[in-house]
Amino acid sequence: MTRLRRSFGAPMAALIVLLTGTWVLGLIAAPQVIMIEQSLWKMDRPAGADELSVQIDRLYNRLDMLMLDRAAARTLRTPSATEAKLAQIDAERAALAAEIADLETAERTPVKTWTLSNYAQMGQAHLRIFAKTILASLAVTAIAFAVCYPIAFAIAKLEPPRRAALIMLALVIPYAINELLRVFAWQMILNYGGPLNAALGLVGIGPVPFLESGSGVFVAMVYAYILFMVFPLYNVLETLDTNQIEAARDLGAKTWQIHRRIVLPHARPGIAVGCIMTFMLSAGSYSVPYIMTRGTAAPWFAQLVYNRFFQASDWNVGAAYAVSLLAVCTGFVFLMMRLLKVRLRDIAK
Amino acid sequence: MIPTPSGMDIALSGAAVRFGTFQAVHPTDLTIEAGEFFSILGPSGCGKTTILRLLSGFLDPSEGEVRIGGRPMAGIGPSDRPTALIFQNLALFPLMTVWENVAFGLEMRGWKTARRRARAFELLEIVALDGQGDKLPAEISGGQRQRVAIARALAVEPAVLLLDEPLSALDLKLRQHMRAELKQLQEATGITFVYITHDQGEALTMSDRVAVMNRGRIVQVGSADDVYDRPATAFVATFVGEMNHLPGRIESVAGDRARIATPGGSFLAPNPGGLAPGTEAVLFLRPERLHLLGPGEVAANGIDGHLLRRDMEGAFSTLIVETAAGRLTVQRVNSGAGGLPAGPLRLGFADSAGVILPAGETADDAA
Ligand SMILES: Nc1ncnc2c1ncn2[C@@H]1O[C@H](COP(=O)(O)OP(=O)(O)O)[C@@H](O)[C@H]1O
Ligand SMILES: [Mg+2]
Repeated sequence: MTRLRRSFGAPMAALIVLLTGTWVLGLIAAPQVIMIEQSLWKMDRPAGADELSVQIDRLYNRLDMLMLDRAAARTLRTPSATEAKLAQIDAERAALAAEIADLETAERTPVKTWTLSNYAQMGQAHLRIFAKTILASLAVTAIAFAVCYPIAFAIAKLEPPRRAALIMLALVIPYAINELLRVFAWQMILNYGGPLNAALGLVGIGPVPFLESGSGVFVAMVYAYILFMVFPLYNVLETLDTNQIEAARDLGAKTWQIHRRIVLPHARPGIAVGCIMTFMLSAGSYSVPYIMTRGTAAPWFAQLVYNRFFQASDWNVGAAYAVSLLAVCTGFVFLMMRLLKVRLRDIAK
Repeated sequence: MIPTPSGMDIALSGAAVRFGTFQAVHPTDLTIEAGEFFSILGPSGCGKTTILRLLSGFLDPSEGEVRIGGRPMAGIGPSDRPTALIFQNLALFPLMTVWENVAFGLEMRGWKTARRRARAFELLEIVALDGQGDKLPAEISGGQRQRVAIARALAVEPAVLLLDEPLSALDLKLRQHMRAELKQLQEATGITFVYITHDQGEALTMSDRVAVMNRGRIVQVGSADDVYDRPATAFVATFVGEMNHLPGRIESVAGDRARIATPGGSFLAPNPGGLAPGTEAVLFLRPERLHLLGPGEVAANGIDGHLLRRDMEGAFSTLIVETAAGRLTVQRVNSGAGGLPAGPLRLGFADSAGVILPAGETADDAA
């Protein structure tokens, strides 16, 4: 703080602190806190609601009886007697109606109860989808890594720098197109009538239900998020001194040994960043599974969360679902950092 | 316990390297004896590293052949050659400890951890790094890193050690110290050293023989005395050590000497190239071969001049003398007699002192 003030002056320092604070509170803390808060309560019917309902029924019966009395009163002999009887019944009716209205409001007004039960709402089926989503995201991450590592290495270390920059640019260009459009393109490619099945048909392989089997989601997801793997890997591999690779080779290392002992250890921070980003994006992806399956295959977890919120209108359970996903993702981040022996500082670099 | 494999000899025959259309190394014939300390000296960009990569196997010659220990090296990769390379930037592995660095080659050969650790610590002792084995390269000094690189290369018991300007990152004191150590190590191990440098001091002090290189060609191979005292070309004459140039024309030839006419007079000097009278040539003259002539003193060659400046450098002083043949540098041993008055003086030199060579590219042109 003092250092900030000394290097930027008081007004600048105040501005920096304000902006950082807004960032931390508004963009990082607030959404999580709100989500967690939502997930920890639910609206309950008030205590004794059953007795109330019986009581209300009884009052309605009384009201019906009064109506019968009122009908009978019309046939009284003297008009004055009729008048008096009617007035008495009406007054009683009004009182009764007011009482019913009160009781009904009491019955209907729910009370907010703090509870963990939202987290217990996930049934067998949803739990299975949750697990499937996590496993599939891990698989997407693994595939993306397996595809990107050789590519990033080849571009960073085997190509002359100028060509490497061009290739990276070429890799980015498709990502200038909206994600939805890219995914739709894959949807069309993998569709029954799509070019891939047409090509397979030419060699006599019957139409493959890529989309319906769920494998389409996989392909599209690897494609959609591959950039988030390739860039961190490329960046970190680019900083590897080529002489180190040559020194290892000169000392007798075979290609796989060079990768195991020199390249992969150097790439650890990039691997961690790439895996974390790919995993988080896959696990939380809504649009890719939505477009690719169009409901024909089992949904991904993000779709369930969406449904809780907007179809079941149960924001509390929805929030609990979302927080569960967040917890697993956070766990994954720490696991990756532990596995790769990467500290937050290395990742920040 | 220093590893004692005998060094191997190296032979390049017509070996050349082209990068696209750029001829980095012209066809070269070169023999390096087994157990020799051989330096390749040349300005930056002349192709020294390229030759070293040819020997270590990272590059294949575009034409010609490389043999090490009599065996043709075509198709043999860096990991299978009896060579070890010490990189210009050392290329230590920053994530491994010092001993793991040293043991890397042994690890690749499948040595068990305990055995290779013991061997690494032995080697570290040889290079005076006892007790540093468990540090990271970033935690030791530049000179120590240098030794780690040497130990790492020695660990694989190479017959040929290739060193690419390994001392260039060190400061002067340390550099001079490491020169002596390297020379000692080479003598103790009997390994063939091929040492690359653009520093003539390093090349002259350590080497059994020096190859001077310019623009992808080896222009002279010889002992330190050869290249210093008997340069073969204008480039070698000017690249190695200080040199005065006196351009002129050959007047007459007598045996292995010739008389060359310059604007400062005509001088008798060795003519190793056998240049014919009438040829444009340059007389090259070392500053320490020029001396002041006292009154009445005579020398084979004499030239009048005018003292411009005297720089006292401790053991000797440098005089800048203006003459009709241009500005000459003279080095005088410091006899304790003190300075000289500025003004006219006469310089002399023996008829064996200089060398007449055809005019050609000099190190100053190349720079
Ligand atoms: N892989 C390469 N591709 C193209 N040119 C190269 C390559 N390696 C070196 N060169 C060029 O070859 C020349 C000699 O390089 P090098 O052997 O590294 O010189 P030095 O004597 O300084 O070690 C330089 O002009 C350099 O630019
Ligand atoms: Mg070099």
